Amino acid sequence: MMTRQSGRTQLSAIVALFLVTAACGGSREAGAPATTAVRVTDVGLGRSVGGDKAITDRTDTFRPNDTIYASVATEGSASSATLRARWTFEDGQVVDESTRTIVPNNRERTEFHISKPNAWPSGKYKLEVFLDNQSVETKDFEVRGS
Amino acid sequence: MGIFDKLKGNKTEKPRADFSNVQSGSSSTAGEPAIPAPDLSRTTGTTGQEQTYTVVAGDSLSKIAKRFYGDASLWPRLHEANRDQITNPDLIHPGQRLKIPQA
Repeated sequence: MMTRQSGRTQLSAIVALFLVTAACGGSREAGAPATTAVRVTDVGLGRSVGGDKAITDRTDTFRPNDTIYASVATEGSASSATLRARWTFEDGQVVDESTRTIVPNNRERTEFHISKPNAWPSGKYKLEVFLDNQSVETKDFEVRGS
Repeated sequence: MGIFDKLKGNKTEKPRADFSNVQSGSSSTAGEPAIPAPDLSRTTGTTGQEQTYTVVAGDSLSKIAKRFYGDASLWPRLHEANRDQITNPDLIHPGQRLKIPQA
């Protein structure tokens, strides 16, 4: 009698332990969205990029006829991440806004570039980089007339 | 029309620079999704199923809706698609690049 009851109790305890363990494991997994793994680690500005999409000549001062490059370094992996570069002039006038959806795998670099056939107006500009619609970095730069 | 309305209507903004011919692009060492997202990095034109349009002086959302949909009253569709850059539908600026959802 003692043996049968104690056997049932032990079985119930084992089942309960299993359920608790499974529940804990499940909630840990559900609480870890994939996108948190991806982050922007660097944003650089310059006049050209290399094959690795990194800036080859960093600067924050440009000439009116330059093509302006921004290189965004990311770390982390996800099935999808969206980078957006928003370029503005002086008091916030939008110069350009470009979006690129990537499948990042560890360390990646994404470049955005803008050019203007009839020269950039002189003045102060700003680049704002968004990762999945969250602003993550801003860079100020200037165009100076020759 | 009262004098205040006239003053409001004649309110002049600081001349804005013209960025309507800015060209842009992007590339990445990372892969792209199996089903490519619409490429919004083009200057103008059709990108996948979505067109873009660069605002010029004198434009309003109604005018743009009339141009693309043939019906000015459909301007809320443009506002909805561009909420990230239009907070006040009565105020758009030359050089803004708007997404034009399919009719």
